[in-house]
Amino acid sequence: MNGTAAAWDADRRRYDAIIVGAGWSGSLIAERLGAKGWQVLVLEAGNGGDETWEGHLDAVRTFHSAVAKVPNSPYRRNTAAPSPDVLDLAPVRDPEPGKPEFTANGYLVQQGALPYGTDYLRALGGTGMHWLGAVPRMHADDFGTDTDYGYGRDWPIGAEDLQRHYAEAERAMGVAGDADEQRKLGVVTDPDYVYPMHGIPQSHIDDYCQKRVGGHEIHDEVAGETYTINITGLPQARNSTPDPRYAGGAGYRPKGAVGLANYGERCVGNASCVPICPVQARSTPLRIQAGFSGSVTVATRSVVTRVLRGRGAYVRGVEYRTYGDPATPVSRSYTAEADVVVLAAHAIENARLLLFSELANGSDQVGRNLMDHPTMVAWGLTAEADGNIGPFRGPGHTSGWEEFRFGDARGTRAPFRIEIGNWGWGWANGAPMSNVATALGVGGDAAGEVRDKGIFGPELRRFLGSTIGRQLQLQCAVEQAADPENRVTIDPRKHRDAMGNPRPVIAYDLDEHTRKGVYAAYLVAGRIFAEMGAQNRTDFRPVGGLPPLGHFVYPTDDSVDGEVHLAYHGAGHGAGTHVMGADRSTSVVDSHQRTHDHPNLYAVGCGSMPSIGTSNPTVTMAALALRSAERIHQDLAELHGAVLPRPRTQKTEVPA
Amino acid sequence: MITATELHAQGFKPPRTIEELRKYLQAAIEVEHLTIPVYMTGMYTIRPDTNRLAYYAIRSVVLEEMLHLTLAANLLNAVGGKPNVAHPEFVAEYPAKLPFSSDELPLIGLRHFSPKALDTFLTIERPRSLVPPEEGEGWTSIGQFYAAIADGLRALVEEKGEAAVFTGDPARQVGPEDFYNSGGEAFPIAGLKSALTAIEVISEQGEGADDSIWDSDDKFFGEERQLAHYFRFNEIRTGRSYGRHDTPRTPPSGPLLDVTWDDAYKIHGDSKVADYKEYEETSRVYEEAVAFNQCYATLLSYLDSAFDGWPRLMCLAVPTMLELGDRAERLYRNPHPDPALAKKGVCASATFELGVRHFDAAREQVEQNIEAVDRTPGAPIDLSAATMQKREQFA
Repeated sequence: MNGTAAAWDADRRRYDAIIVGAGWSGSLIAERLGAKGWQVLVLEAGNGGDETWEGHLDAVRTFHSAVAKVPNSPYRRNTAAPSPDVLDLAPVRDPEPGKPEFTANGYLVQQGALPYGTDYLRALGGTGMHWLGAVPRMHADDFGTDTDYGYGRDWPIGAEDLQRHYAEAERAMGVAGDADEQRKLGVVTDPDYVYPMHGIPQSHIDDYCQKRVGGHEIHDEVAGETYTINITGLPQARNSTPDPRYAGGAGYRPKGAVGLANYGERCVGNASCVPICPVQARSTPLRIQAGFSGSVTVATRSVVTRVLRGRGAYVRGVEYRTYGDPATPVSRSYTAEADVVVLAAHAIENARLLLFSELANGSDQVGRNLMDHPTMVAWGLTAEADGNIGPFRGPGHTSGWEEFRFGDARGTRAPFRIEIGNWGWGWANGAPMSNVATALGVGGDAAGEVRDKGIFGPELRRFLGSTIGRQLQLQCAVEQAADPENRVTIDPRKHRDAMGNPRPVIAYDLDEHTRKGVYAAYLVAGRIFAEMGAQNRTDFRPVGGLPPLGHFVYPTDDSVDGEVHLAYHGAGHGAGTHVMGADRSTSVVDSHQRTHDHPNLYAVGCGSMPSIGTSNPTVTMAALALRSAERIHQDLAELHGAVLPRPRTQKTEVPA
Repeated sequence: MITATELHAQGFKPPRTIEELRKYLQAAIEVEHLTIPVYMTGMYTIRPDTNRLAYYAIRSVVLEEMLHLTLAANLLNAVGGKPNVAHPEFVAEYPAKLPFSSDELPLIGLRHFSPKALDTFLTIERPRSLVPPEEGEGWTSIGQFYAAIADGLRALVEEKGEAAVFTGDPARQVGPEDFYNSGGEAFPIAGLKSALTAIEVISEQGEGADDSIWDSDDKFFGEERQLAHYFRFNEIRTGRSYGRHDTPRTPPSGPLLDVTWDDAYKIHGDSKVADYKEYEETSRVYEEAVAFNQCYATLLSYLDSAFDGWPRLMCLAVPTMLELGDRAERLYRNPHPDPALAKKGVCASATFELGVRHFDAAREQVEQNIEAVDRTPGAPIDLSAATMQKREQFA
């Protein structure tokens, strides 16, 4: 059973380790250290509650009643520990040339040329509460792009150093996948490895795409290369059929729901993985927390404000504020001390904390190199003769075209992974609700008058049936390389949140290499649509002076206008803000995610990643966290001499 | 239900031969199933999104009854028998007599979520310790029935040796890969030890372990310990939860539970499809009630194939259960087609009447889908081929 403590119970106590943040990284490290018997305090800024079944149902209901089904929609606004939301951004009508085409009205202060269109969640479980559950590993080539292709930053470690931790992370998270396919891609290298569970079945859309264009050649104009495309299944952290071959024939026992014994279904295609799986088939960090030993204390509504300096280069603990009512910023300050402090609060939050604590920044790299996977979302309508292809069923995506991720073309343009979307044009333009609105004539014309072209009854049903059933969306996630000018800063005099903590100030843009990748993906998606006889509906031109979010104009040599309108979405993959490296003058943390400047301060998470390839970063982040957990255990063991403590059996449960 | 009814009539005694043992185990499957439509009716009549604690408590018991049914089928397969669950006589006619219990007990009927329904549930799950058997008397509780099976099993193994009793093909056992996270998991039965464990799981989830209010999920499955069925139901009935140190003979002493009896679709549990047919012209309830029964027959047909040598076919039963839930939601929210009953606020309900024609009608679809999925043990589950056949259109 998961229990959380009240913040004041943790006040002025001393722990072996304090972990800031209860998302994937924080939970995995706490679980490992707790299993070794260390006294661990996990401080979570946001609300708890979802570890109970009532709390889970409440989140599901909040999501059901939300008008905009955005990733943060199951969770209520929290003034004390605000989260950025994708709805914070709005386009500007008829923007002035050279000025930003968007406004940002949320937690993030955005001062860059382009919007950082990515959210995260500050709550127990972190952004792991609303993630899709996509867990493809990174490829060996992704770790050395500077050396091999002349862009981005190299890692101080390689894929081979992470294989063991990847496998461990996949067990902890509960991953379903086809190892043979991943071996073929070259991302799984162990010849005997199988995932804990068989892959989630591919969707009807996947089958359709493979039937229509599998084995076809698609030309990438930008790279000047031709690729033969075939779909590859996506490894996913959601319950499917356990594979009896796992772990040398030992098999795997899927983990059930958190908060209700007797529950925990396999994926049955509820199709709302983002933001919430109603049957908890999709894994969340709460599952890890359910396995915390008695020596781990979790305190929610505890916002860490600063890391406290100790003797010499060491840190001694943290200062944190706790609040009772998330609607008000009323809070009280406490401190807790520990031998090791681990920041696991998300790339942007980690950077914000380090900057405000004035720590670990000898390299001036803290907050820099902010990355994401800018995602070019293309949409098309498949041939009417092919009938209904079955959108809005199953997980968000179950297969992709991986061919554009690898090879020498990376030197020319950023690589990208094409996700075959299962949820129609949902991401591109809010389908199916937008289709209904359009058909009904809701929304009015440009002058605000009611349109009289609405259709009703059987005609409406036929219209929706024929158009919604043929929606195909291709989500092209483009690698963005580390760029020191894409950064998080703070400006405590001007920008603070309600509790008084500095808000993150973001400067964000896409460099030429990345833009070229977006452009290449745009052309490739168009060719794929053409090859399968679909109408390409992708169009990023401003409508009535209103540009789409993430809009930019890309100059081309060959088109009539000499330019093309492009746009991208944020993928929710914030990374790079406390970048890892061997050289302390150019990086913030070492390969174990320990800060170069402070021997007992760790900053973990995607913030440590020097590059993110074209893989959804969570599983790599989890592998890094498990690697760090081993290191932290060693640190603590050395500090305490040779005598290792035994795990306590009794669990301290103090209800909040 | 005929096997169970027949054995009940013979009075309390343990099985003495393998044939008798198989008969007892088929009866056990029937008894486990008998409870499912009763609990389902209690659960489905809760208005959506109300009485959530009660809803999930009943749901958890239904899942565990399905586990018991599966374990009983494993037991029967283990001793060389052949479970039969897709048969009109397998299903009881409600209101039904509860076998292996006192003849004085009232009939078990389909009732909407209400104190009376909970009283019925409590009657079914009453622990042995609350109704001690009297010398030379008839049956008093289902726990006693299982104790008789365990005694018979032990005696047979002593007499003939384990190998002569457990002659079933191990490939017919439903294991954890096909049934999990449902108040424990199914496990294969290979000998006396696992057989007795299965009987213990069934008894203790129902009536509690060692004369306590708790079941033994922690001991057998490394899961969270839960209240045994009787006490889970008693919490709802009394509107109060049990405290940590309560015992079977003390009333629950914990905090109040939120139970609102009015948030239920009132039904006339004795309604039959024939009653609905009279109003076929004015109400679609008839069609929906028939479709529900048809769906239930399909579910039993899949279970029958899963217990008959292809455990992996459990995967086809799961979407059918989801369909059943959807159909229930569509059915129970309608007024009863009889205007006189509707006026009193009575709603339509599922009748769980299954005849030969239901199983015949299910056969074609069942056989088609069985062919469409890969049923090799350990293979990935992919129902795409089965779902493709339906191709329902929007308009």
